[in-house]
Amino acid sequence: MPTLTPTFDTGGLSKPVEAVRVDPRGAIDGDALAPGLVDTGLNAGFIADTLSAMLAHERCGVHLYRSVAGRTNNPMLKKKYEEFGRETLEHVTIFEGLITDSGGDPEYVSPAARAVQGSDTKSLESTFMLAGSVDVMTQEMVLLDAVLQAEAMCHANWEVLAQLADVLPAGAVKDRFLAAVGKVEAQEQEHESWARDTKAQLTILQAKSESMAKIGTKAEQLMETVKGWLS
Amino acid sequence: MGLNPLEHRGIPVEDQVKSWSEINPEPYDKDRVDPYTRTRVILMNGIEVESIIFSHQFARMTDNVDIKQKLALSRRIDAQQQKIVNGLNPGDQSPLETTIGYEQVAVDLTAWLARHEPDPYLKQALDFALLEDFDHLYRYSNLYELLDSKKAADITQHLSEITPGRPTVVEHRHPFDDVNGHFETHTVDPLSRLHVMTIVAAEQQTMNYYMNHGAEYVEPIARGLYSEIALIEEEHVTHYESLLDPLDSWLKQLVFHELNEVYLYWSMLQQETDKRIGSIWEEHLDMELGQFHAACDLLRRYEGVEPEEIVPPSLPDTPVTFEPNKDYVRQVLAEQIDLRKNGPEFVPLSEMSPLSQEYQDAVNAGGTPSEQVIDMNREKSGREYRDETEGPNPVVDLRDPATASR
Repeated sequence: MPTLTPTFDTGGLSKPVEAVRVDPRGAIDGDALAPGLVDTGLNAGFIADTLSAMLAHERCGVHLYRSVAGRTNNPMLKKKYEEFGRETLEHVTIFEGLITDSGGDPEYVSPAARAVQGSDTKSLESTFMLAGSVDVMTQEMVLLDAVLQAEAMCHANWEVLAQLADVLPAGAVKDRFLAAVGKVEAQEQEHESWARDTKAQLTILQAKSESMAKIGTKAEQLMETVKGWLS
Repeated sequence: MGLNPLEHRGIPVEDQVKSWSEINPEPYDKDRVDPYTRTRVILMNGIEVESIIFSHQFARMTDNVDIKQKLALSRRIDAQQQKIVNGLNPGDQSPLETTIGYEQVAVDLTAWLARHEPDPYLKQALDFALLEDFDHLYRYSNLYELLDSKKAADITQHLSEITPGRPTVVEHRHPFDDVNGHFETHTVDPLSRLHVMTIVAAEQQTMNYYMNHGAEYVEPIARGLYSEIALIEEEHVTHYESLLDPLDSWLKQLVFHELNEVYLYWSMLQQETDKRIGSIWEEHLDMELGQFHAACDLLRRYEGVEPEEIVPPSLPDTPVTFEPNKDYVRQVLAEQIDLRKNGPEFVPLSEMSPLSQEYQDAVNAGGTPSEQVIDMNREKSGREYRDETEGPNPVVDLRDPATASR
């Protein structure tokens, strides 16, 4: 099982910067971030920080899928969220392997990763902190929107990783990057496309349907409508 | 191995409601109480107040009915627990006597946390404010003798010394200089997190107490001293709360709050000398375990995070302990009396922030109650009040002018 939340107990590491004071036992910087990339002629520290940020996004993705799968009222969407959640968990493992192979430590949380976690946390919070403001049909779209946003970023990350692999000098590190991209990029494209298509599908479905949330409509009725979507 | 809160379910929150008679306990006897029982009561009251205030703040950020209802339920129980704990304070204990108890908490809690704090920056933050609270104990003790002709050592029982620390008159800082850097949530030692949460709650309670009780006095010197020290406590809340990593979500913070309450009730239970009060700590520990699991359920459902991911496998096996810290306080006093702030950095006096110097000049213009109280008590009692059980103050300049030449 990969790490989903680096902590002191998992060996979490970070970089002191601005307001962030890292316990010296968990502080790391410089060449130690990715020793395997130092001889590539590229900015190893920057790449290490970027990989950490991409890994953070995948980790947040696992949390997002667990959350939305547990809260959707539509069985088809639930199934898909669970499937993508399992695949996202695999991506975490692949990222951790990639970082380890580069001589880095997957427990490292870069400043960029903190920013990604901050953004992803707020995105996930937006699916439940204002749940009282939306009806059950709108709530489904809110969950789906969060997934679409997350997958758009995920897909972009893997495309960036593919381009990064292109500029790496020939050798074992480049091969590992290319292998990872080859394994995952198509899946990411599928995730994003599915989210985009499903959003369109549900939007059109509701636009054409007479049942929508109106004052006085019982929640049970709306729930039944949501359950029937995509079936 | 310490307690693993994930393995103990405690009392379900919905079974924790108590009757009026149950939340109105018999107070302790102020003349017979172990001073550290009094400090435990003061600390745990502050911990419950923080829990209630945090929960109210969280509730204002969401309209999710499920979350709001569960927060409301746990919060009502916290409010009942707070009444029980605070109700242990006797009505014949004056606000000033309680205040001396608050400063004994501030001294011996802060010193203990600093002694056990593994992160050097956090330890420095604790040591820094320790010397300031240590000085407050001395100032209030003189007010106590001045107004009531009584000795503060009858309250502290000589377990904490009473002598000047970093003089309150120089503790006034520009607010910018109270903002510190913060720990990093992925690397922070779980013990450090609990330490910071505990001291934030304790200082916040002290700030709240002084800002409300100072106005109950008629004497201008008492009103002035409470106002002055209340503002230092506000500095301390800013100082300590800025050590917390804001990256943690509301739900994670909720889980950490409950975890800290579990740890602290367990800690109080380990050392309580009063059996009756010990049974309260024990019951509250079981209640907090139930509230902790309710918070974990919310985290799991809404954030998809398993509590095991963020909660350490076990709580620290060393309980937070109230005990004398005289040697430690003396050592910090001798070494750090001239430390000051410049932004988030702790610096020598010569590098103190000009902003804070300007601020200090402004607030101290026209006299300072914390200095005046000592002068007034010297005039009334023929000397200032101290309880130096281990010898003269380790800082020569802080020695009692009346005895320094002996």
